[in-house]
Order: sequence, then structure tokens, then C-alpha cells
Amino acid sequence: MVPSHPFSRTVVLTSVAAALLATTACSGSAVSSAAGDAGAPLKIGVVVPLTGPVSETGKALQRGFELGVQKVNDSGGVGGEKVEYVVVDDAGDPATSTQLARRLIQQDRVSMLFGTITGDTAEAVSRVAEDAKVPFGTAILGDTEGCFPYSWGFGESTRQILEPSVPELIRTYGKRVAIAGSDYNYPHFYAGIAKEIVKSAGGTIVAEEYSPLGQTDWQPVVTRLKEAEPDVLLSMVVGADAVAFSRQAQQFGLITPKLGYDGAPLDSDYYPALSDLVNGRTHVVRWTDQLDDAESKKFVADYRAKYKWTQPLPEVAGNAYFGIQFFLAAAGKAGRNDGQAINTEIGRLRFDSPLGKGTHFEPANHLLQADMLETTIGPGGAYKVTRNLGPVADKVAKQGCA
Amino acid sequence: MDVLLAILSQFGLYGLLTLGVAIIFAALRVVNLAQGDLAMTGAYVAVTATTVAFGWRVLLALALCVLPLLAIERVLLRRPLADGLATMLVTWGVGMALRQGAELLFTSTSRTVAAPAGGTVELLGTPYPAYRLVSGLVAVAVIAGVLLVAYRTGWGLTMRAVADNPTMAALLGTDPRRMRSAAFVIGGMLAVLAGALYSPLLAVNPTMGFGLLVPMFFALLFSRPGALGTAVTAALLVAALAVLLRTWLTDTLADALFYIVIIGTAALRSRSHVRRLLSWSRRILSPARSS
Repeated sequence: MVPSHPFSRTVVLTSVAAALLATTACSGSAVSSAAGDAGAPLKIGVVVPLTGPVSETGKALQRGFELGVQKVNDSGGVGGEKVEYVVVDDAGDPATSTQLARRLIQQDRVSMLFGTITGDTAEAVSRVAEDAKVPFGTAILGDTEGCFPYSWGFGESTRQILEPSVPELIRTYGKRVAIAGSDYNYPHFYAGIAKEIVKSAGGTIVAEEYSPLGQTDWQPVVTRLKEAEPDVLLSMVVGADAVAFSRQAQQFGLITPKLGYDGAPLDSDYYPALSDLVNGRTHVVRWTDQLDDAESKKFVADYRAKYKWTQPLPEVAGNAYFGIQFFLAAAGKAGRNDGQAINTEIGRLRFDSPLGKGTHFEPANHLLQADMLETTIGPGGAYKVTRNLGPVADKVAKQGCA
Repeated sequence: MDVLLAILSQFGLYGLLTLGVAIIFAALRVVNLAQGDLAMTGAYVAVTATTVAFGWRVLLALALCVLPLLAIERVLLRRPLADGLATMLVTWGVGMALRQGAELLFTSTSRTVAAPAGGTVELLGTPYPAYRLVSGLVAVAVIAGVLLVAYRTGWGLTMRAVADNPTMAALLGTDPRRMRSAAFVIGGMLAVLAGALYSPLLAVNPTMGFGLLVPMFFALLFSRPGALGTAVTAALLVAALAVLLRTWLTDTLADALFYIVIIGTAALRSRSHVRRLLSWSRRILSPARSS
């Protein structure tokens, strides 16, 4: 999923970003104590890519966020004041994300940060948020190995996706599982967890392939995967590569209705490009626009009306909509625009929403403990709920928060 | 057999792009940095004009690009031609405008187009996707046709004369400006054709041209300016190297080794004794004629 999984566009870019971050870290330009004016309305800084390759997902997040804030403001805001926000475009570039997050804290004096799509930009903002002691919320799917004390993820974690889906795929299609991924941190992290779950479900990994981002020809990879004769293919090939890989794997006869296929290419972001290939398949998600509770329905109707949207709503929009309401509920409990106080309340809060009853963050990894849904992809991109899996816990501790 | 077919398919794509950029370089002495983005525009025509059959969409893409290419060359490239760097930057700007335009029109979400020939064909016992084979063969046929025109017709001779010595060609009655326009349009059309023809195999999005630039530039690096045959041979070698490495090794290792081999070869070629050796070997293989 391009966009939704925390991916960096190239390994080189990640290294450059890391070098830049290291440089800024060494420069000693701490941003603490600048955020949040007492008595002033609560202000949120939104860092999203509105231009560049992941801009569509960035816009979806922004729209979900804005409707979430609007809902809170319509019900009286936080502490009797309307919530304000400032949106900035990081174009999916981590160096820009760092600069913009610093500017939002120092100049715009925001009390919380929200947004980002790619993993490298999320990490960049997480570091600034930690430095300034300002909570930062993401709505992207997937998680990373590390954890930051001021960062909170509303997207489902890798375990929350794979623990219900992998055993089901093995039961339905067979025990031989192949994994394909783009060659950067997250797909390797995803594969590590997938291998663990495949093993405990009685399956075997028969092939594992990674390819650098930007690949146009998938014949060698598809040939090797086909030779392994898998029953199930888990793919964390992301971005435009997910589309080219899936399409070429289909042309070479690897992806057929007899093969269990799951992973990033089944996310709603790719539906317009891969509809014929994913229709009828099941996919585990946290939120879908097909949910029939009143709150989700109202959100979907508002989104479609306000943004003249006719396609399926991206999941990231739903995560952002309910995620920002969670954050603002915590801000209301904190009672003041102090980042540290709000952060403490985020860690304590139990929040009811269509994502689940009493949703809360696990202190050991800052991942949202919420319900998961098994959906079946139907014509027109309708991710219909076929099974409510209930709360799927992910309590595995991570360095940085444990 | 699998490997040969993979090389054919990749060579078709890289060959069309490299031959196009080599023709433009020969006539204008500028590297067209918008070549990948022109391929992207061709792919978008194939994706969007779905009311007509795929073959017509490819022809439509070619027909639609002629006037814009002519306008780009006449309006944007002719004036700064005296400064090669400025012209190259103009082509970069053209590419950026095309990318932004595509993002505004179609968003950054990837699209695909159904292959006009589905299913597989059996080749010496190897099942192979039918359209992949068709696209490779069409691309190779076009490349061969363009080379035939360049080396076996009067027009090709004139173009090569302009590429070799524009002043002398002008003194002998050839209008270099007209030839440059023609070269830019033909070079650009080859990129548009590559994008449209290969669109069923690729993810079509505004930035897809970036991924196509690297192998094309590598092939251009190993060709001699004005010698279109060497550009095509270099494209074949680059395609073969990429496919063979990815067949024998994992993709990650193959990718790293691909860059090492390319950069190593380029560095080796730049050494004076290797250059002299290559120059002598060329004279031995094709000795100068006395007449």
C-alpha cells in the first residue's frame, strides 16, 4: 500500500534522512518548552504529504482529520473552546517533515501533532515530538520495530493484521506460504512476524523474495516464487511496485483464484488498479466504509458530501477521523494545553468508538488495542464485513516505550 | 528460454527509450531528461482512452504527441540550444510540467490497463504471457525499422550528417533546424510508444518515468554520440545484464552488482589505454575505406 504502510521510498533516501536527522540532533536545537499557550484554544499541527507520490493518502488522512475536528467543535470543542489546526505539506520527505514539525511547535505553538504517511516521515516527526514533549498521532497501517514515548499509532499493527488472517489463509488454501516484499525495513519486519505466525499455524515458508523499490520487471521474482509452488502468497510489495508485481504475477499464472493472496496490494488504495485481481478475497482491516454503525455512516456521508467522493473511503481516513477524536478526548481530560499532560492522558484513556469499546493504547508499544474486522472485497471496492474479530491484542513490548 | 524472453521484453522497453534519447542527443547534443515522462504520457493515453481498442490507443498516443513535441522543440529548446546545460534543464522542466500535469489530471494513484492479448503462449515448452511477447516483438521491430531508416535511407544519412557536423551539413544545403525538429519529434515518439506499448505490464502513475531513466542513461553512457547502432547494442547489454543478474542472484544483490558493473565499466572505459584499445579494435573491425 503505497502509502498506508510505513514505507520509505528508497533505502538511499532513508539513509539521507537518517543522516539529516543525526545532523539536526547534533545541532542542539531543542524545541522543548515552546509548545502550547495556556488559556489559548487548543491548536494541532498536521504534517501530511499533499504533493508527491503519496499525496492521495495524505489528502485522505487530512480529510478524515478535518471531519473529526469538525465533529468535536460542533459538540462544543475542548474546554469550551473551538479546536484550531494548521496543515502543512511535507511532500513525503522526512527532512521537510522535521523542519515543519519544529516550525509548528515553535512558531504556531501547537499542543499536539498529527499526520504523516510514510514510515520515515513518521519517525522524523516522532523525534521532534519527543524533543518538544508534544504528543504525535499517526493513522497509518503497520508499525515499526521502535517506539517513541510521545508517538501513538491509530493504524492496526502488523500482528493485529496477521494473527487473524494467516491461520485462516493456511486453513483455506494450504500450508506452503511464500513472502514477497519491497526491500526496506518494514517488509522485513512484516516478514519476521509473518514467519512466526505461519510456523505457529502449522505452515511452512517456501520462498522469500525482496526487491528494491522502483522495479519495473518482475519476471525473475515471479518465476522463483512460482517454482516454490506456494499455496499462499503474502505480499508487502508496496507503492506502484505493488500494482506492477501483482499484475505481472497474474500474467505469469502465479496469482490465480487457487492461490491465497493477502498483504499490501489488497488495501483499498490499490483497488482501482487491481480490482479484478482482489475481488472476492478476504482482507483484515480495522475500519471500512461498509460498517453500519451510525457514527461510521455519518462520517462516510459527510466525507462523500464535503469532498464529492464517490470511490471507497480509504481506511486511513477512518483511522484519522476516530484517532483525532481520541486525542481530543484526552486533551479534554488533561484540562490544559500542555503537551506532557495530554500525553499522559492519551496513555490512560479508554475511548468508545466504532473501532471498539474501551479502545486504549498498550503502554509497552503505544499501539491501539481495538477491534479488527474480516472483510470480503466486493465489486466497486466494497470491503464488506464478513466477521467481526473483536479486540485483537498486540502487547509485544518495543524498545523506547517498554 | 525464460531468460531469453525476459531479455527480449526488457530490451524492447529500454531499446525504444534509449534509441529515442540517442536520436535527440545526436541532433540536438542534449540529453532529454523528459524522456521517461514522455513514456508516462503515452501510458496514460493507453489507460484513459478505453473506448477504442488497445492498438488504436497506441496509435492515438503517437498521433497526439507530434504537435506538442514539435512545439516543445521550437518554442523551448531552440533558443537555449547554444548552451547545452540550459537546454538540458529545459527538458527537466518539461518533464516536471508533465508529471505535475498528470498528477493534477489523474492523481498520483497508480492505474493499470488490461493486456489486449490475455493468456499464455507455449514457446519451446515454456508458457509465456502472450502480450509480453507481443510487446517485446513489436518494440524490437520498431527499433530495427528506425535503424534501417537511419542507416539505409537518404533521410537517415542527412540526419547523421547533421549529427556529425551541423555546420558542414548546412553549407551542403541541409537545414539543421528542420532536422533537429524532426529528430526531437521522432525521439519523443519512441518514448511515447514505449510507454503506451508497455503500459499493460507497468503501474501507470505520474512518476513512472523516473524508474525508466536509469537504465536508459546507462545505455546512453556506453553508446557513441550519433552512432544509433551502439545505443541499441548498449540497451541490449544493459537489459541482458539486469536480467541475468536477477536470474542468478537475489534481486537485492543483483541490483547492487548491476550498479557496480555499470559504474566499473564506465570508469574502465574512461582510462586512456582502454579507450585507445577500443578505438584500435573498432578500426580493425571496420577499416576506413580509401574512397
